[in-house]
Amino acid sequence: MSKLKPWVGYLLPKLGQFAFVILATYTLVFVLIHFLPGDPLVAALASKGGGDTVIDPAELEALRAQYGLDGNLWEQYFGHLVALVQGDLGTSIATGVPVIDMVARAFPHSLEIASLALLFGVVSAVIITFLAFAAPWPWLRQLLLQIPPFGIAMPAFLSGLLLISIFAFSLGWLPSAGVRAPGSAILPAITLALPVGAIFFQVFSAAVLEAMNSPYVFTAVAKGVTPRAIFLKHLLRNALLPSITILGLLIGYLAGGTAVVETVFSRDGIGRLTVSAVLARDINVIQGVVLLVGATYAAVNLIVDIAYGFIDPRTRLGTAKKTPAPVAEAGAAT
Amino acid sequence: MSNPMDGPSDDILVVRDLQVTYATRNGSVPAVRGISFSVPRGKIVAVVGESGSGKSTASQAFIRRLAEGGKIDSGSVEFAGRDLLALPERAMRSIRGAQIGFVPQDPSKSLNPLMRVGEQIAESLRLHKKLNRSAAAAEAIKILEEVGIQDADARARQYPHELSGGMRQRVLIGIAWACSPQLVIADEPTSALDVTVQRQVLDSMDELVRRHGTAVVLVTHDLAVAADRADFVVVMSEGQIVEQGTTLQVLTSPTHAYTKKLVESAPGLSSARLVPSVSTQESQPNTGSLFTGFQKQSDRLSGERATNILEVRNLVKTFTLQRSGGGSQVLRAVDDVSFSVPRGSTFSIVGESGSGKTTTARIAARIAGADAGSVFFDGDDITALKGEKLRQLRRRIQVVYQNPFGSLDPKMSIERIITEPLRAFRIGDRSHHGTVARELLEHVQLNPDLATRRPAELSGGQRQRVAIARALAIGPEMIVLDEPVSALDVSVQEQILQLLVDLQVEFGLSYLFISHDLGVIRQISDHVAVMRFGKILELGTASDILSNPQHAYTRELLEAIPGRSIALTPGT
Amino acid sequence: MRLLRQPGFVLSIIVIAVVIVASFAPSLLATHDPYGSVAADRFLPPSTEYLFGTDHLGRDVYSRVVHGTALSLLSAALAVVVGVVIGALIGLFSGFVGGRIDFVIMRFVDVLIAVPGVLLALIVVASLGFGPFSLALGVGLGAAGSFARVMRSQVLHIRNEEYVEAARTLGVRGPAILMNHVLPNAARPVIAMAALELGTAILAVSALTFLGFGAPPPAPEWGALVAAGRNFVSTNPTLSILPGVVILVVVLAVNRVARTIGGEK
Repeated sequence: MSKLKPWVGYLLPKLGQFAFVILATYTLVFVLIHFLPGDPLVAALASKGGGDTVIDPAELEALRAQYGLDGNLWEQYFGHLVALVQGDLGTSIATGVPVIDMVARAFPHSLEIASLALLFGVVSAVIITFLAFAAPWPWLRQLLLQIPPFGIAMPAFLSGLLLISIFAFSLGWLPSAGVRAPGSAILPAITLALPVGAIFFQVFSAAVLEAMNSPYVFTAVAKGVTPRAIFLKHLLRNALLPSITILGLLIGYLAGGTAVVETVFSRDGIGRLTVSAVLARDINVIQGVVLLVGATYAAVNLIVDIAYGFIDPRTRLGTAKKTPAPVAEAGAAT
Repeated sequence: MSNPMDGPSDDILVVRDLQVTYATRNGSVPAVRGISFSVPRGKIVAVVGESGSGKSTASQAFIRRLAEGGKIDSGSVEFAGRDLLALPERAMRSIRGAQIGFVPQDPSKSLNPLMRVGEQIAESLRLHKKLNRSAAAAEAIKILEEVGIQDADARARQYPHELSGGMRQRVLIGIAWACSPQLVIADEPTSALDVTVQRQVLDSMDELVRRHGTAVVLVTHDLAVAADRADFVVVMSEGQIVEQGTTLQVLTSPTHAYTKKLVESAPGLSSARLVPSVSTQESQPNTGSLFTGFQKQSDRLSGERATNILEVRNLVKTFTLQRSGGGSQVLRAVDDVSFSVPRGSTFSIVGESGSGKTTTARIAARIAGADAGSVFFDGDDITALKGEKLRQLRRRIQVVYQNPFGSLDPKMSIERIITEPLRAFRIGDRSHHGTVARELLEHVQLNPDLATRRPAELSGGQRQRVAIARALAIGPEMIVLDEPVSALDVSVQEQILQLLVDLQVEFGLSYLFISHDLGVIRQISDHVAVMRFGKILELGTASDILSNPQHAYTRELLEAIPGRSIALTPGT
Repeated sequence: MRLLRQPGFVLSIIVIAVVIVASFAPSLLATHDPYGSVAADRFLPPSTEYLFGTDHLGRDVYSRVVHGTALSLLSAALAVVVGVVIGALIGLFSGFVGGRIDFVIMRFVDVLIAVPGVLLALIVVASLGFGPFSLALGVGLGAAGSFARVMRSQVLHIRNEEYVEAARTLGVRGPAILMNHVLPNAARPVIAMAALELGTAILAVSALTFLGFGAPPPAPEWGALVAAGRNFVSTNPTLSILPGVVILVVVLAVNRVARTIGGEK
């Protein structure tokens, strides 16, 4: 029992947080949809049937029941919540297909470019940081450090269109659209990697720079350690540690970015599904997508949180037992 | 010390005309301006100076690793006959750690937090002694034992955060000595440590020096540490060497004015209770008109008033520490503490970090609450005062903090800072405030023209004077001083302490004074309490405690004060 | 001033000045009627006559970009105002009250941050209908969470500063501490963040107008211009790329100035 207990105490709050984020996301979406002016169903039907559709009130009520938009707000809130727990995200107003099926079909395509983008982004950020760190000339370092502000200011549709006109139309190396052709994920992934890599770079390079000026790196230099070993053994881990906490945030960027990228590259996926749902004012699909993204974010944060506890000895479980309390040993003079 | 121009000699390190500048936004600023000295084999040379003297920069220049923007302009650093400044970087790397060890300043930040401490020593052994992994690990444990770490086998597998500050500094010393270097440069190796720990760490460093015959450059701000440990002393000021010679020479018969001042003001070396300077006593009459808050000093010390301005009884304060892995631990930060402060005197609490002295002072000043016990001010129970009544108490008790950088709002002008309490209590009008601010600045011996400046433009000592002026503005009867001089250079320390003593007489103030430094305590206190682990171990008049300590810990503290090895008679 | 010696900063200021002129007096910069089509001049490449070329209806793309400035930036600026006002108020309140209320508020702010700003904006747009104002509300709401967090952490940080405790021990009242110490010291990071958010908001708004959620078609919003040109990207890439480059340049300039406000050298 004494072995088990700290684990329970450690994991339970984190799992609770995970559940809370999903519940709160659901609540937030619900509040936004129902408290902003306008009737979502009427708007959706109007969008479906063209400008001046006249709807029979009785038919409207039937449709309300069909899409789970009947009853008072509390009934809707808890009704959807119960359905959600059972894995039911409702029915699309525009297509009549269960939302969960639509999302499940689109998700793998988005997952493919998003994970590729994350990989490209993070790896190139680390490489550029290393080059900047090892740059023999200050001007080169300055130049390399100018890349991320550029990546952050770059609209995704612009980089996407540039990549298409260069690599698809001019050079003909890679397909410009679709999900089937081999290599079709590469250009969208690069487009998506640009802002994500830039954001990661900002956090990571700041952490490296801070670590570079830290006394423990001075100690390593005074030991005679080579610059490469300093970067790999002393800087990298210390700088990656604070950087991985923004992974969750990057998931958000990736999810938001897919809307533009998948439109530019005419690819099926979560982003394009969302865009067409918004165009059709299909509230049920939008809610399903946001919940999915919220759940992914919460899951990534949960994993990062747990991983952090393992990587950082200062937060690792079961240590700091036989040593004196850290409070009692802080230096007197500062 | 031999003359650096003598050519090949027994000196392991010969520094000639070394100049270092830092590139800043406002152009290049010289940090080291042509210093020359030498370090004989196996001897300890102390480089002593205050902050900004360039001593740390010089020590970093010896291993050619300066902070960003630093550049060695000219001179030579000859180590074992080779000019280090002319070596290629690769050759320099094989000297760092192997032939020149370095003990850095801040043990809490100088070890890689994500690497086991044994590995941090072993890294150096594998690199320079070409040991394999297991041999290096075994050797690292031996080194930990050698620097006095018990249970070295287990400690080697721990991370830095699991070690105390003293142990971390021992590990850093172990890294420096790992490859038996001929020279070790120690940059303020113990200034972040408690005085008793400092002594143990310096002792084990001495031991290594004796055993390995290592030469040491000991960079320190503390003349007393230099007096105890060094064979030779080099005194630096503003980037230059003002005096060098054997320790005895420099400390007993200093020739340069700066060295004399340094020797005189070093609190650890020889000090007595400071006496008020005459000039301020004479200036007393002009105070009544300005400080409406003040009553006449004679009124304060007589009449129907409690003899003890402050009394605390049986204070208890506990903190619950959350363990990262769950669970908690209760810490009794203040444990049944009682004392009283006689009106018009200075009561000091001395203790090392974690002793509970600051928490006690904060409770006494009603900044923090207590779990049990009571506080009486001027005979009234103020333990439970709240709201407006507590605010009114602030007119009578004021606080001066340790950190003169943190306690002044960076966005405010000095005048606004000083007169803030007057505004808070709606005393006087705007034009009156300007006059009061200037008068107060004069009282704390600052140029009244500073009133328009911002805190960032002032030195540490000047800021602390501003903080004192602010505390005086509403004419309090008592000031709680929490380590008011420990962030300052020694020569500035003494000036501030003298100011406090003068103001005490001038305005009839009572002080509750908190310090970790017995040397400082000696200069200002009438009564002293010694605290450890939340308890008062010993309490009495300053002269009794300091000359005839009863408790073993008090004796340990007194013995740990550096500078006792040489009987000093400061030149006057 | 030292800043004026930095070419990047000077260039950014010039760009922003041009943008301001284009917003308030577009006719000073435009060379043609943004809506006037010349059937004979369709798909012309960039030239001195038509700086960015002409589109499928023979309209001057450059003049359309100039005339679209006000509309494109209005939503972005409004979004920042919405984000700052909502976010800063929440953060200030939460940080100052503290305790359990703070905890609950911040968990909801976490969620506001967890949902990507673009998605949040899409929900608002889907509920309220398309157009610049619902874009502004949506993007602003998406930014409010970060503002709340920054403001709160500033308030907490400053509340724990020694000078605030010192003020309390000097007998300064709570409201005076808030006005004299907390707000002046918290302002700069929040202003810097607002400036940086303007760049992000321009990007978000242009992305959403690119997707077709902005003002209805003839309006020359920047994102919509890129979207319109996109159909001809294989034959006339400049049609969509040049308006995109304008967005890039403006965002770069805004971010550069924002970083300077934030105290970066």
